[in-house]
Amino acid sequence: MKKLVESSGVEVAFKEVDVVTTGTFGAMCSSGAIVNLGHSDPPIKIDQAWMNDVEVCHPGAAVDLFIGATNMSQKHQCEYGGGHVIQDLVAGEEVELRATAYGTDCYPRTSLKTILTKNDLNQFYLLNFRNCYQRYNCAVNSSDEIIYTYMSKLLPRFRNATFSGAGELNPLMNDPDYETLGMGTRIFLGGAQGYIIGEGTQHSPKNLNGTLMVKGDAKKMSPEFLQGASFTGYGTSMYVGVGVPIPILNEGLAKKTAIRDSAILTDIVDYSVPRRDRPKFGQVTYKDLKSGSISVNGKKVRVSSLSSLKVAKKVCQTLKSWIDEGSFFLTTPIERLPTETVFRPMRQTEEIPFVVSVMHPAVTCTEDEEISAIAKRIVTKSVNHIVVVDETCKLLGIVTSWDVTRAMAEEKTALADIETHKVVTAKTDEPLEVASKRMAQHNISALPVINIERKVLGIVTAEDVSKLLGR
Amino acid sequence: MARILVRFNEDQVSEPIASQIIIEYKVPLAILSAHINSKGGEIIAEVPDDILETVVKAFRGRGVSITVPKLIEVNSDKCFSCGSCIALCPVDAISLAADCSVQFDKEKCVGSTCSICVDACPARAIKSIKPNNNEASVNREKKR
Repeated sequence: MKKLVESSGVEVAFKEVDVVTTGTFGAMCSSGAIVNLGHSDPPIKIDQAWMNDVEVCHPGAAVDLFIGATNMSQKHQCEYGGGHVIQDLVAGEEVELRATAYGTDCYPRTSLKTILTKNDLNQFYLLNFRNCYQRYNCAVNSSDEIIYTYMSKLLPRFRNATFSGAGELNPLMNDPDYETLGMGTRIFLGGAQGYIIGEGTQHSPKNLNGTLMVKGDAKKMSPEFLQGASFTGYGTSMYVGVGVPIPILNEGLAKKTAIRDSAILTDIVDYSVPRRDRPKFGQVTYKDLKSGSISVNGKKVRVSSLSSLKVAKKVCQTLKSWIDEGSFFLTTPIERLPTETVFRPMRQTEEIPFVVSVMHPAVTCTEDEEISAIAKRIVTKSVNHIVVVDETCKLLGIVTSWDVTRAMAEEKTALADIETHKVVTAKTDEPLEVASKRMAQHNISALPVINIERKVLGIVTAEDVSKLLGR
Repeated sequence: MARILVRFNEDQVSEPIASQIIIEYKVPLAILSAHINSKGGEIIAEVPDDILETVVKAFRGRGVSITVPKLIEVNSDKCFSCGSCIALCPVDAISLAADCSVQFDKEKCVGSTCSICVDACPARAIKSIKPNNNEASVNREKKR
């Protein structure tokens, strides 16, 4: 369609093309499956349950369970989770179910252990409440340390970037006004036929962040289009293949489905800032993202995709072949999806402390000072940490009372011998909990607070944290 | 160029063995990765083919173990070609083929001492193979 519109124009394309198939295959964390186990004898009203050691929840009565893609195995953590359980079941493999209950007169059993395959389940439906994000952020990391996020591994100081989504192949990008897709639209889901059952949670169509809620019979699906995934340091997820046919009902749709990656913009977002509103470094197009490198602050950064373009194309092609051979029929939606909703932030009735709320001025020294002078300052100011700065107050290093003690013991006199140059720092707008975790992780008791130019603004210590907790 | 994996034990790390060999034999040793601490370490380096044997003998003469490193292993059944590993690779060994499949260049990959892509693979399709001393030596490798 895209090529045809470009070469022959919208009018010709509208006459020639009946349906455009769109598709995506990416990590979609808000996915899961509902299963009904049937009753055991004696019957049980399940309270807690695990499938292959992954906790599953019990949304309904006695023997209905929901396998959430992001729930992790208690033993294997992010190496195996709900997404993998669903994949294993879809692949026809055996899964161990373990359950406990409190026991009632009608459901006396209190524990259960059995082996199940998908054929033993009465219902096994994929029920994804947020799939198919219209577009997603491009993630970078401005900090000095590797961070592990749901956008995968981000190397320090912008050494890589990641993005998600299929760009011009994404279903919602091809029908951005929701003319043809809505509740009841038959779609490709996980290798079988499924349905759009409404807008997805966080659906925000006005700013091109639309989502879908979908359902399909998982017993008929294929593990090729439904795969468990592991994100180190984040957890588990599931890659879901979603394909949507878009009937070309008017010239407008012919034009819309001709959308190119070069016309789809997304934000470059700094994931090292642990806040809801993260700093942004401008926008890039999906064309740039798919080229393998982008420019961030004038620097060339290599970028790679988290979604699989290869499988997304296969989704589109498979759906096309189903339509061609007459095994898939397009449907008219019975209700349109909302086009005005926005995704609002959470209402919070309790404030949490940030670094800025407890930090205090740092006691500093310069690199040419004697250790004895520093020792005196530690005593007179009654602190344990002296921050070493240059004449413009930029961070150079840190000296602790322990370093000074060691200098005495080892008869060292030069500051350079005892100063730590690789300083672990904090930023003013970080949650105190994050800064506190960082101290524990590095086994240290204070963090100089710096700004983006590395100028020292203050210091936050383990004492500040414990004082706050003791309030 | 031939690739070598040099492994130092606890007693050898304090000596500048690699530097001594570079100076003594005037070898342009290109170090691709190095991980060394007080307990031992590993260096992956490239040396020109014509002086490979000299270099190997020189390291062995100093009691240092030297092998050809085995690469990481990629399970193509598990890999669904997302490509999240591509931008992480420091030596451009991973790329997207014309059909959008992820492909590994085993010549370029520096193997298990790098392993930066291993824990970033959502499909867990990449495995790091720790080389051991029984592995094919440089000489045997050359005969193939």
